[in-house]
Amino acid sequence: MSGYVVGDTQVDDTFAEAFPMRYARVVITAATDSWALEAARSMTGFATSVIGCKCEAAIERSLTAAETPDGRPGIAVLLFAMDREGVGKRVLERVGQCVMTCPTTACFDGEPSAEKTVPLGASLRYFGDGFQASKVIAGKRFWRIPVMEGEFLVCESVGVGTGVAGGNLVIGAGEEDAALAAATAAAAAMRGEGIALPFPGGIVRSGSKVGALTSKSLPASTNHQMAPTLRVQVDDTLVPDGVGALFEIVIDGASEDAVREAMRRGLHAAAGAGATHVTAANFGGKLGQFHFPLSELRDPP
Amino acid sequence: MTLTLTLRAQPPAHVDLTQLIPERLRGRGAGDVAGLRLRCGREQLGVGDLFDVSGTGGEELILAGDLRRFNGIGARMSGGAIDVRGDVGAWAGGEMDGGVLRIFGDAGARLGAAYPGARAGMTGGEIVVTGDAGEEAGAGMRRGLVAVGGRTGNGAGLRMLAGTVIALGGIGAEAGLGNKRGSLVSGKAVEPLPSYAFATCFHPPALRLQLLRVRELGLTVPESLLSGSWARWSGDRTELTRGEILIFDDKEEAGR
Repeated sequence: MSGYVVGDTQVDDTFAEAFPMRYARVVITAATDSWALEAARSMTGFATSVIGCKCEAAIERSLTAAETPDGRPGIAVLLFAMDREGVGKRVLERVGQCVMTCPTTACFDGEPSAEKTVPLGASLRYFGDGFQASKVIAGKRFWRIPVMEGEFLVCESVGVGTGVAGGNLVIGAGEEDAALAAATAAAAAMRGEGIALPFPGGIVRSGSKVGALTSKSLPASTNHQMAPTLRVQVDDTLVPDGVGALFEIVIDGASEDAVREAMRRGLHAAAGAGATHVTAANFGGKLGQFHFPLSELRDPP
Repeated sequence: MTLTLTLRAQPPAHVDLTQLIPERLRGRGAGDVAGLRLRCGREQLGVGDLFDVSGTGGEELILAGDLRRFNGIGARMSGGAIDVRGDVGAWAGGEMDGGVLRIFGDAGARLGAAYPGARAGMTGGEIVVTGDAGEEAGAGMRRGLVAVGGRTGNGAGLRMLAGTVIALGGIGAEAGLGNKRGSLVSGKAVEPLPSYAFATCFHPPALRLQLLRVRELGLTVPESLLSGSWARWSGDRTELTRGEILIFDDKEEAGR
């Protein structure tokens, strides 16, 4: 496959294919950075792929006290689902189980300018069993839910925006350690405002294909074309010569531009950290509305 | 667009300023506003007889001068903003429904309160007073926020339905009588009515948000109030016991 070279890294002439998804941004604050992080980690657990987890979620970034509504340290979390209803259900479940339960936290809408919203505190308030109370502060309603610690404060609703999910880079190198180091560097460079990397550490080693060769019921199965151990076992391998391991970074973003720029940052970071090969996964361009050609990422960020 | 009224002469009696609210003055020029008639005791005076008027009516109205003889400033307003540079009389923000009323001075009695015979007072919006407020601030209040930098007089939150009255300098005696679901907040130690019972000391997250909001609106809120602990007293137990008085738990002060 033709393409171009960045340093010692071969970049394929291909593209990542992505889809529109709905997302919410939830701001979690707490008395300390560490409690905010605990809540955010809990809320974004088991949220790697919408296929198996009903949503994709990740920590977007840490927020300083000056950036949060209540002046305490916080974490912004992005949660993606296929539609607004799905976002509403998943946010409600996860804030109820993972944020409300976490000491000292409060929960705010991180997408206040969104036209569409889904209820959060408006539903979660019933946990208060009639003892809940609301306050309208600066035109926004919040719910005070009495809990064993004191009170949990949660916003009435959260805004829902339209984002892009499924942007990706596939990063390879001759040795597993080198490939992982390059992918780790890429993931670190990609994180930022408007970006969620939902897999563990931002990296997925078990990239999938749609459907399966051996079953009609499986929605997804291993991407055998990208598995180095199957290089000589299958006829349609895509593992380049000299590549011994590949890692995929899946990117969900608040906008097409956010995903494209994250991919640009990741590609160049991977190249600088020892990747010998960078490519991307797609479905032939027939399924996803958004295409991100790697040829457009040649210029460094 | 901003309309500015600067007091030129004190009126011979109390004046009702209820009609001078942003939604009624929108689009009106200075000459038009100067011609409006105001009730002053048993007489009527023109706005222009009492004030120098400049600008055009829009979302913001500025009133300047010693307005202690002017009642009902911002009463029943539902949007926009009124800034008052000076003291005001009674009923400021009475039965207000929305918008922001900021008073850089003292306020008279019945701030944000219900008019006689009405069950509900303020039903929305925000009132900020940098000085003190008179008796029965927030009486009958249903929703909204009244924040006073100094003290409130006696009987704040009388028969309050809901909403919040904050007095950073402390609420006066007999606060919260007949309170159903309202929140009264005192930045200084105060003895609640016997119909209130102590619940606990805690860090109320909603109050923190409200204090940050009133700081944004121009009140000086000490950092200690934001990070400190507050005693919650529940009441009025002659009503629903769903209201509260939050009193700053000033441990440093108590230790002296």
